[in-house]
Amino acid sequence: MLSSLIWTPILGAVLIAFWPGLSASRSRWVAIGVTVAALIWSLLLGSQFDVSSVSLQFLEDLPWIESLGLSYQLSLDGISLPLIVLNALLTAIALWSSDSDIQRPRFYYSLLLLLNAGVAGAFLAQNLLLFFLFYELELVPLYFLIAIWGGARRGYAATKFLIYTAVSGVLILAAFLGLTWLSGSSDFIYNPLASQALSLGQQFILLGMLLVGFGIKIPLFPFHTWLPDAHVEASTPVSVLLAGVLLKLGAYGLLKFGLGLFPDAWAVLAPGLAAWAVVSVLYGSFTAIAQKDMKKMVAYSSIGHMGYVLLACAAATPLSILGTVFQMISHGLISALLFLLVGVVYKKTGTRDLDLLSGLLNPERGMPVIGSLMVLGVMASAGIPGMVGFISEFLIFRGSFPVFPTQTLLSMVGTGLTAVYFLLMVNRVFFGRLSKQAEDLPPVVWNDRLPSVVLASLIVAFGLQPSWLTYWTETTTTALLPHPAAAVVGTVQLSPHESVTLSSPLVSPRLPIPNPIEEN
Amino acid sequence: MGVLVVLLDRALDRALDRATEMNETLLQNVWWIPFYGLLGAIVTLPWSIGLIRRTGPRPAAYLNILMTVLAFIHGLVLFRATLVWQEPQQVLIHWLSVADLDLTFALNVSPVSVGAMELVTGLSLLAQVFAIGYMEKDWALARFFALMGFFEGAMSGLAISDSLFLTYGLLEILTLSTYLLVGFWYAQPLVVTAARDAFLTKRVGDVLLLMGVVALGTMAGSLNFPDLYNWAETANLSPLTSTLLGLALIAGPVGKCAQFPLHLWLDEAMEGPNPASILRNSVVVACGAYVLIKLQPILILSPVASIALLTLGTMTAIGASLVALAQIDLKRALSHSTSAYLGLVFMATGLQWTGFALLLLFAHAISKALLFMALGGIISTTNSQNMTEMGGLWSRMPATTGSFLIGGAGLVGILPLGGFWAMRLGLDDFWSQPWLVAVLLLVNGLTALNLTRVFRLVFLGQPQPKTRRAPEVAWPMAVPMVSLIITTLLVPLMLAWLNLLPDWEYMNKPALGLLILSGLTGCVLGSSLTLKRTWSRPMQISLRFLQDLLAYDFYIDRLYRVSVVFAVSSISRLVAWFDRHIVDGFVNLVGLASLFSGESLKYSISGQSQAYVLTILVGLSLLGMIITWSMW
Repeated sequence: MLSSLIWTPILGAVLIAFWPGLSASRSRWVAIGVTVAALIWSLLLGSQFDVSSVSLQFLEDLPWIESLGLSYQLSLDGISLPLIVLNALLTAIALWSSDSDIQRPRFYYSLLLLLNAGVAGAFLAQNLLLFFLFYELELVPLYFLIAIWGGARRGYAATKFLIYTAVSGVLILAAFLGLTWLSGSSDFIYNPLASQALSLGQQFILLGMLLVGFGIKIPLFPFHTWLPDAHVEASTPVSVLLAGVLLKLGAYGLLKFGLGLFPDAWAVLAPGLAAWAVVSVLYGSFTAIAQKDMKKMVAYSSIGHMGYVLLACAAATPLSILGTVFQMISHGLISALLFLLVGVVYKKTGTRDLDLLSGLLNPERGMPVIGSLMVLGVMASAGIPGMVGFISEFLIFRGSFPVFPTQTLLSMVGTGLTAVYFLLMVNRVFFGRLSKQAEDLPPVVWNDRLPSVVLASLIVAFGLQPSWLTYWTETTTTALLPHPAAAVVGTVQLSPHESVTLSSPLVSPRLPIPNPIEEN
Repeated sequence: MGVLVVLLDRALDRALDRATEMNETLLQNVWWIPFYGLLGAIVTLPWSIGLIRRTGPRPAAYLNILMTVLAFIHGLVLFRATLVWQEPQQVLIHWLSVADLDLTFALNVSPVSVGAMELVTGLSLLAQVFAIGYMEKDWALARFFALMGFFEGAMSGLAISDSLFLTYGLLEILTLSTYLLVGFWYAQPLVVTAARDAFLTKRVGDVLLLMGVVALGTMAGSLNFPDLYNWAETANLSPLTSTLLGLALIAGPVGKCAQFPLHLWLDEAMEGPNPASILRNSVVVACGAYVLIKLQPILILSPVASIALLTLGTMTAIGASLVALAQIDLKRALSHSTSAYLGLVFMATGLQWTGFALLLLFAHAISKALLFMALGGIISTTNSQNMTEMGGLWSRMPATTGSFLIGGAGLVGILPLGGFWAMRLGLDDFWSQPWLVAVLLLVNGLTALNLTRVFRLVFLGQPQPKTRRAPEVAWPMAVPMVSLIITTLLVPLMLAWLNLLPDWEYMNKPALGLLILSGLTGCVLGSSLTLKRTWSRPMQISLRFLQDLLAYDFYIDRLYRVSVVFAVSSISRLVAWFDRHIVDGFVNLVGLASLFSGESLKYSISGQSQAYVLTILVGLSLLGMIITWSMW
C-alpha cells in the first residue's frame, strides 16, 4: 500500500523518460496524473489511518540485504502522514506551475516525479539505512533540477547544494552506522531504545553528527548558505518543493532520529539547542530585512521560521513537538505560496528586485489578485491569527515556554521581525505607483493563480480549524517523547494549576512503544 | 386606559415568556453577531476581486450594510435579553484541545459586553451608510466595504470575547485590517508609509502582548478571563516576573490605543478613507482600552504596570492635547485628541477606576464618531483637509456645523452631555489626588480650546476659495450625521435609564464647577486667540520653535528614526554583510582552497621516480616520528 506512493512516481518517471514519442504536454499530464493519484491515495490512507494507535501502521516489511541489516520496511505514523500528503500536494502544484514550454520537458517531469518518490520514501522508511538511501536519492534529481533549469549562477548553486547535502548525508550515515554497531544491533531497524546501550559520550558524538547533518538540511545557522543560493537560482516549482518539502526532511529527521533515537543526550544538549534556535531565528530574520531580492528574502525567512522547529524540538514537551509538526506543515504551505507568488511576479515582470518593482496592486495594469494573495501569505507568515502560521507558532511558543522561557521570548522577536521584512516587501513591490519596470505586463491568467488560491485556502482552513491537523498527529508526537514530563516538571512550581494538568499520564516514565516486529 | 395597560402588560409577559424559551437559542447563537460582518466581507469577494463587474460595486456595499443591520438587530434582541437576565452568561466554544493545552473560547454575554457590541455595530452601520456617500466615486468601493465588514466583525467579537487568546487573535486581526484600511489608497506615497507604520507600531505592542499571553497561559493554565481572575487572586509571582508580565500585557493596548510611546501611527493613519477613520477614532481605539479594562484584575499583580499605565496615560493625555493645538490638518487635529482621551482611560485603569474608564470610552466613542462625520462632510465637500484654507462654512453646511458643535459639546465637559457625565465621574474618582484632577481639567480645557480653534477656522470667518461653493452633504452622509446627533443628545438619557447618573444631592458640586470652568476657559481662550491665516507660521523664533515642536509631535518620529529604526536596519545590514562575506566567504574559501590545492598538487606529478621515493620516505619518517613520539 505504501510502496505505491514511492513506486508509482518512479514508474511514471520511467514512463515519461523512455516512452517513445511522448509529447511535452502529454508527459506533463501524465506527471500531474501520477501525483494527483498519489495525493488521492495518501488521503485514502489517511482515512484508514488509526489515530489512536502508536504502532507502525500499514507496515510493509521485506527482507532485502539481510547481511547488511537493510530491510525494506515502510510504515506510516502521525508525523509522516501529513508530510506525505504535503509532498504529493506540493509536487502536483509544482508540476502545474511549471512552464508548459519548458526545455527538455520529459527529463524535467521525470526528475520531479523521482524527487517526489525519494521524499516519500524518506518519510516512510523505518529502516535507518533505507531512510538514508531515500535521503540521498532525493538529492540527485534536485541537483539536476537546479543545474539545468536554474538561473545564471545555477552551476555554482547546484554544486554548493550537492556538496552541502552530501556532507549532510555522510554525517547521517556515519551516525546511523555508529549507533547500530556500537549498540551491537544486527540490523538498522528504527528502534528508539537502541541508544540505551551506549555511553553518554558516544551518544553525544553520534547526536552531534546528526545535528549537523540535519542542521544543514533544515537549514540552521551557520550551515545555511546553500539555501539562499539554491533558491535564487532554482526555478519557481523547484523552489516550491525545496522550501515546502525538502527542508521538512531535515526537521523530520531531527525529530525522529535526533530526539527519537538519542533522548538522553538530547535532554542534556537541549539548552544549547534552544540557544542555537534563537540565533538561527534572529539571524535569518535580520538577514532577510537587508535583502533586495524577493526570493532571497523568502529564503532567509525560511531559515528564521525553521529555527522555531529546533526550539520546539529542544523543549520536547508534548505540545511543542506537536507544534513542530504543525510548523512543518504550516511553513510548507506558506513558503510554497510565497515562492509561487514571487515566481508569478518574476515571470511577468522579469525582475525580483525590490528597488525596481512598485505598485503591482494596480487594478488594471498590475496584478491585484496576486498582490492580495501575497498580502495573505506574508500575514500568515508573520503569524496573524486566522491563518495556519499563527497557531503553529503559538503551539511552539506555548509548548516551549515552560522549559525555555528566555529562549522562547527571544524567538518571538522573530515573528515581529517577520512582519518587518515582509511588510517592507509588500509595501515596496505592491503599494505605491506602478514602476516603469512593471508597465505593459503580460496578463495574469487563472492558471497562474489557481495553485496559489489552493494553498491560500488551505492556509486559512487549517488556521481556522487546526484540529483537522492535530487530530492525525497528536498520538504519535506524544508517544515520541520518552520522558515528556522530565523537562516540564522542573517548572511546574510556577503555578498550582499546571501541576494538576500535568500529573496525568504524561508524567509516567518512558512510554513503551510497541514494536510489532519484535512481537512477530 | 386601564384595559390598554393590562393588555400591554399581558403582551409583555407573553413576550418575556417566549424570551425565556429563546434564551438558550439566543445564547448559543451569539457568535453570529460578529460573524455577520465577516460574512459580509466574504460575500463581497466577487466584487472586490473583479469577478462581477457588470453591476458596479454598489451591490457589495448594500450586502455589507444588510449584514450590519442584521448584526445590529440581532444584538438589540440580545441586549434586551441580557437586561432581563441580569447575570452575565458564559458561552463556551471548543476550538482546539491538544496535549496539555485546551483552547476553549469563552464568550461573555452581559449588558456591558453586548452593549459594547451594539455600539460597534451601530457605529459601523452609520459609518457604512456614510461611506456610500463619501466613497461614491471610488472604484474600489467593494473592497472598502469588505474591509469594513472584517473590521466590524473583529471588533464585535472583541466586545464579547471572554478569552485572552481569542482577544489577542482579534486584536491582531484588527491590526491587519487597520493596515489594509489605512493602506486603502495604496498608490499614494504617504499612505504607504502610514499603513506600514500603523502595522509595525501595533505589531510591536502585539508581539509583547503575545509574550504575555504565552507566559500567562503557562502559569495560569487557562486563558479564559474568569480563570485568569481566579488565578490572579492567589498567584504568587516574583516581582520581576509580575513586572515583566504586567508590562507585556499593557503593551498591546498601548499600541492599539495610540499611547506614548506607540502613538505615532494614529496621526499618520488619518491618510486613510474617512469612514474608516470614524470607526478608528471611536471604537477601534476603544477596543484596545476595553481589553486593558478586562486585563485590569490581572494587572493588579504588578504595581509597576499600574504605575506605567498612569505615567503613559498622563504623558499622552497632556502631550497629545498640546500637539493637537498645533495641527492644521483637520483630521490630525482631532486624532490627537483621541490619543489624549484614551490617555485618561489609561490613567483610570491604572488607578482601577474601570467604571469611569468604560463611561468615558462610551461617551468619547459616540461624540468622536460624530465629529469625524462632520470632518468627512467638510473634506468631501471642499476636497481639502487643510484648516487654513477654510472658513465661513456655517451658513453653507448647517447639518455639518451642527454635527461638529454637538459632537464637540458631547466630548468636553461643559454641557450636560456624555463627556460631561463621564468626566464628572472621573473627578469624583480622582478627587483625593489633586494632580490627577488637574490633569483631567487640563485635558478638558485644552480639548475645548482646540475644538473652538478648529470651529472658528473652519466654520466662522470669511469664506475662502475652497469653501466658497460648498453645498451641504448628500443624504447618505446627512442621515447618519443626524442620527448620530440625536444619539449624542440622547446619551444622558441612556445613562439615566441605565442608572449611571447620580442624584443631585450626592454630586460633588465643586468638582462640577471646576469642570465647567475648565471647559469654559478653554472655549474663551479659543475664541480670543488671534487666528490669522498669515500667522500659521509665526515670525518669532520662540513661537515658531514651539509650534514646530508641537506640530511634529515633539519630534518623536525623528527620535525613532535615529534610534529603533536605525538600530534594526544597521543590525540587519551588518548581519547580511556577515552572512555574505564571513559565513559564505568561509565556505567559498574552503571550496577555493581545495580546488587550488588540487590544482597545485597536480604540478608535483613530475614522473621522476626519485621524487616519489623521496616523498614516501619523508612521509614514512614523519609517521614513524609521530608513532614513536612517546619514546623520545
